[in-house]
Amino acid sequence: MNGRIAAVAAAAVLLALPPALAAQVDRLAGRVDERTLAAVTALVDSARASGVPATPLVNKALEGASKGASGERIAAAVRALAGDLAGARVALGPGASEPELVAGAAALRAGAGPAYLARLRSTYPRESLVVPLAVTADLVARGVPADTATRTVLALMHEGVQDADLVAFRQSVERDIALGAPAGGTAAALAGAVITGEPVMPGNNIPPPRPRKP
Amino acid sequence: MSAELRLPVEASAGFEARVMAAVRRAPAPLPERVWAWLGEPRALAVSPLGGLAAAAVLALLFAGGTWAALRTARAPVAAPAAAAQPAGGAGSVVTFVLVAPRARTVALAGDFDGWDRTRLPMRRGASGLWTLDVPLAPGRYQYAFVVDGRQFVADPSAPRAVGDDFGEPNSVVTVSGGAPRGAGGAL
Repeated sequence: MNGRIAAVAAAAVLLALPPALAAQVDRLAGRVDERTLAAVTALVDSARASGVPATPLVNKALEGASKGASGERIAAAVRALAGDLAGARVALGPGASEPELVAGAAALRAGAGPAYLARLRSTYPRESLVVPLAVTADLVARGVPADTATRTVLALMHEGVQDADLVAFRQSVERDIALGAPAGGTAAALAGAVITGEPVMPGNNIPPPRPRKP
Repeated sequence: MSAELRLPVEASAGFEARVMAAVRRAPAPLPERVWAWLGEPRALAVSPLGGLAAAAVLALLFAGGTWAALRTARAPVAAPAAAAQPAGGAGSVVTFVLVAPRARTVALAGDFDGWDRTRLPMRRGASGLWTLDVPLAPGRYQYAFVVDGRQFVADPSAPRAVGDDFGEPNSVVTVSGGAPRGAGGAL
């Protein structure tokens, strides 16, 4: 009975959706049960009012379905992502592209504040912020403190560092962390080296071994 | 009683013939017949010219296989975030790589294919190296490898996604495509 009600509710919401949005939600057909379909469709529809794109939300639901997650867990993950995307929309402004919103949501989830996103947007109003935001999220995920990551990326961008160099910078930080360097220290030191034009060598930021006590 | 059991039994007329006919009707299983055929010694007449031709064919097959294996092993492999960018800045062809010598199948699933476990199967190369080239538009994508159709495995050579919504970590690939940025801006 509940399943029938959920199916009717999902069908009703689907009929009320704009065609582009309905096409996105259609991707869920056959991948999730009726109740989950109804819940996700309602979330997508409500997020639309905040200017949140449907594709990332549907992708999150499809990920959960592919991994065999329960309907409740799928709905919770979609709801959380919708919140992050809405936050990114507010911080980055109405002109932000969908990839920027996705990267911005990842940066917010990582711990970068909305003020950081807003500052990036106001400083670089016409340029893509996908890579700077993604690199920020990746650095924090690798253990660099959020304030260090945001300051570092802002400083690099101020120096005119391009997307490819930001990605290379992130790889250098990851490499040094893997070799044993402290996450926060290596990001700041490498950024300083990039800004001053010093060669960035692997392992430069690894602390020397402590002297043994006699 | 034992003497009674030792008495010869008179079989009905034609009994032996019926038994033998039934035995002949039951054919041996196919693998057994093939094995018997392979194991049976045979005289094989090969002319010197035929032998040389057969050897040449075998040598060609071996050389071709070796060349293909070397070509696969030397193919340029890029980490997801470091892939070459095509002209025009409309995205990149990203090469995904996983070393999984024991895997029977590996597929790629992510935001770019609706997390379908089967849509993007990877190709197995030398030494269990699985690769796949995927053209991606600019953006940030989460993905994972699907090993043997069921196990999700994060890419060890790529950054991990923050958060773990479904108990299995994802990897992240970022494809740039924006216009070059100028220096400056208020800090």
